[in-house]
Amino acid sequence: MAKEVLQIDGVTKIYPNGFMANKDISFSVGENEIHALVGENGAGKTTLMKILFGMEDCQEGKIYINGEEANIQNPLDAIAKGIGMVHQHFMLLPSLSVAENVTLGVEPMKNGLLDYEAAVKNTQEIADRYNFKVDATSKVKDLSVGQMQKVEILKALIKGAKILILDEPTAVLTPQETEELFEQLFALRDSGVSIIFISHKLEEVMHICSKVTVLRRGQCMGTYDTANLDESKISRLMVGRDVVLKFEKEDPKIAENILEIKDLVRINSFGKHVVDGVSFSVRSGEVVGIAGVEGNGQSELSEVIAGLAEFAEGDVILNGKSIKGLSVKEIRDNGLAYIAEDRMVEGVAADMSIEMNIMADRFDDKRYKKGLFVDAKKIREEVDEYIKQFEVMCDGADQPVRMLSGGNVQKVVVAREFTSGANFILANQPTRGIDVGTAEMIRKTIVRKSREEGTATILISADLNEVLECSDRLLVMRKGKVVAAFPKANEVSEEELGEYMLGLKEMNAQQMEGLL
Amino acid sequence: MKGSRKTQLIESIMEVVRIVAGMAIAYAVALLILVLISDDPIFIVRQFILGPFSSPRRIGSIINLAVPFIICGLSMCFMYAVNKFNLIGESIFMLSGCVVTFVGILIGDRLPMIIMVPLLLIIGAIVGAVLSFVPAIMDRKLNANVVVVSLMLNSVIAQLAIWILRYHMRDTTISFTGSKTTPESMQLPTILGNLRIGSGIIIALILVVIISILFFKTSFGWKMRIVGANPNFARAVGFSTLGISFTAQLLGGALAGIGGATEIMNTYKRYLWTATTGHGFDGLLVAVLARKNPILVPIGALFLSYIRIGADVVNTSGDIPSEFVTVIQGIIILLVAAESFLSGTKRRLIYNTVRKEEAEKQGESNKEVK
Repeated sequence: MAKEVLQIDGVTKIYPNGFMANKDISFSVGENEIHALVGENGAGKTTLMKILFGMEDCQEGKIYINGEEANIQNPLDAIAKGIGMVHQHFMLLPSLSVAENVTLGVEPMKNGLLDYEAAVKNTQEIADRYNFKVDATSKVKDLSVGQMQKVEILKALIKGAKILILDEPTAVLTPQETEELFEQLFALRDSGVSIIFISHKLEEVMHICSKVTVLRRGQCMGTYDTANLDESKISRLMVGRDVVLKFEKEDPKIAENILEIKDLVRINSFGKHVVDGVSFSVRSGEVVGIAGVEGNGQSELSEVIAGLAEFAEGDVILNGKSIKGLSVKEIRDNGLAYIAEDRMVEGVAADMSIEMNIMADRFDDKRYKKGLFVDAKKIREEVDEYIKQFEVMCDGADQPVRMLSGGNVQKVVVAREFTSGANFILANQPTRGIDVGTAEMIRKTIVRKSREEGTATILISADLNEVLECSDRLLVMRKGKVVAAFPKANEVSEEELGEYMLGLKEMNAQQMEGLL
Repeated sequence: MKGSRKTQLIESIMEVVRIVAGMAIAYAVALLILVLISDDPIFIVRQFILGPFSSPRRIGSIINLAVPFIICGLSMCFMYAVNKFNLIGESIFMLSGCVVTFVGILIGDRLPMIIMVPLLLIIGAIVGAVLSFVPAIMDRKLNANVVVVSLMLNSVIAQLAIWILRYHMRDTTISFTGSKTTPESMQLPTILGNLRIGSGIIIALILVVIISILFFKTSFGWKMRIVGANPNFARAVGFSTLGISFTAQLLGGALAGIGGATEIMNTYKRYLWTATTGHGFDGLLVAVLARKNPILVPIGALFLSYIRIGADVVNTSGDIPSEFVTVIQGIIILLVAAESFLSGTKRRLIYNTVRKEEAEKQGESNKEVK
């Protein structure tokens, strides 16, 4: 077996809000190895790498480099110990030259001033050694994205990196640039650099990595030789169900269209089509699940439907009215309830009381006013009722939401969104990171509302249990498009779903006809 | 479920500990400095702590000094509540004082006090609202940082006030720069006999009540606080976040204007300011001490005026320059405003709780398996 250059032993990271991002993670990376770290977004990959690079602290666990325990307090420590990191978002100074960017922090000096010629020479030397086609004297702002990435890698190499972390390096590259990058990574590997390659593109992992470590929900699912694996096995490890949960529900009583999405296109600020011609409708009484690896347009789609983002083409029609040009309030008044993906960002105002958070969408309404003032008594009575109904564990309606556990924060969110009188619920990751009991309650309520009140629901989730068991129809999104549609979610196997989610298979328009 | 209670208990305890520790450290440093630089530290320390209460007149001074602090503190509560640090209040205070003096002298004794005082307060409020509109609109339309714009505008507006004083209402019969004397109908009477408290405190306390009601009993106050606490959330539940933060800044500006008008009527017979008075920034300090809660503003304001008077006492009766009080102020701000002060301790406590819980959970599930 190859010599171990890096060993991570029992790393546990708990964020100040009590969220456990990494739980007892252990794995090791050998010399001359390209080691893949895979997992869905939110599985803890980036947190783990930030700990390794000294950008985050961890509460437990040790890191060994070449067998010696390494105490990494900050990125400077990490660099000194031979760790280099290329972030997903580049950290470059666009107005400076490649050489200046690369040598920043290790500038060659002459008479107390920067020796620019030496900087160019050193940079070009390393670039040429690994066949990086960049000109050390050109300005970073004139480079292509692929070249900028080379500059990032050079930055790490010139500081003597022996362990190189690449955080989703191919996400921004064209296929040709990706191929070129792989060639260079092979060259680096052969020259003695160990590479940690973070990705969820499995074909790339199979292609260039010899080992793969899988993370799921902050826990390590093990390290495997890629030779003994195939893509579908990795996909099962990544997105498999933890517990199979069975859910008794009646067949939906489907009625008229509540929400219609027609050829919707959203283009982000880099000109990328993040939602790319999506069309489907949601009818009264049904729950439509949307599965997919995160970052494939689900969040962008839900922002558009919630009125929080513009769209370029197409239309979204809610209860017979286009949402184009409407304010969020107008869309909500027209029947939208929205459980946001990140509850602490869009779901609650953490420093405010439970009362204000539950009533936030309605205390402006005449029903809750007495003359100029809010009708505090009536509001309090209703809030106390909701706290009881949704079993929010708290000291009282006045308590700031910040002090509640994740599950209870989410109960506050659903207490508002499920009681607003809306006939369409957009639930994006409604049970992420919360306790089993609360998750169960939220899922049951979503289904019950659709059956009893005829609510139309979109359920976006990375939790396969959830989408498979709660949904009636199921769609799969990948790269901003709907790539698969199934009439009955609970008859789909997770293997099949995984293959569509990770792009190993795709349905054509005929196969999906009548299911959108 | 138990865990959330524990985390929450740790949070509330640490919050109190943090503020008390902040104040205590600030005081300790102040006392240490006094001991170091004074020839007679025990006397000076006693003067600093007890001096402000040593005569009815000094107690009255604490209260009079607190009047502008209260009103400016309320003003900054609005800016702070929507997270727009619009610091234009500093020059609004000055210009409003200048304008009401000008108008007051113009009207003279023709109006009785009962009409004159409210009229001048309204004029002050309008001056404030109009001026605070400028940084607010630049922030909203031109994306110009509201802190920078308001600070720059402060010097412009201060010069405007000086120009009005020098060229339009200067009293040429006196040896220093000052306006003519203001009519008696705009000089607020003192109350409570030998404490010599100006009746401005009544205006300040009425404002505390009104603003507290606005903050906590009206839907605008609720929306404003939610916008400040989390604008993304406010947007997602359908608030007009820009409109709300704009209105809050105008109201804050109006209050600073009322502050300047009240100060002139409460303590001056002439308008004398040839530079900004610092009250706008003191207002920020008060709002931070009061944790942007208008009900607590009088407490923050009284605390600030107590240490200022303490410094004055030490200055007149001992060998300590009154500027040293700014040191205490600085430390208090640093420690009270620094939200991560002692956060390491807090995190450790929370971490231990979560770990213990996990262990308990595991223990329980193991039992179930058996």
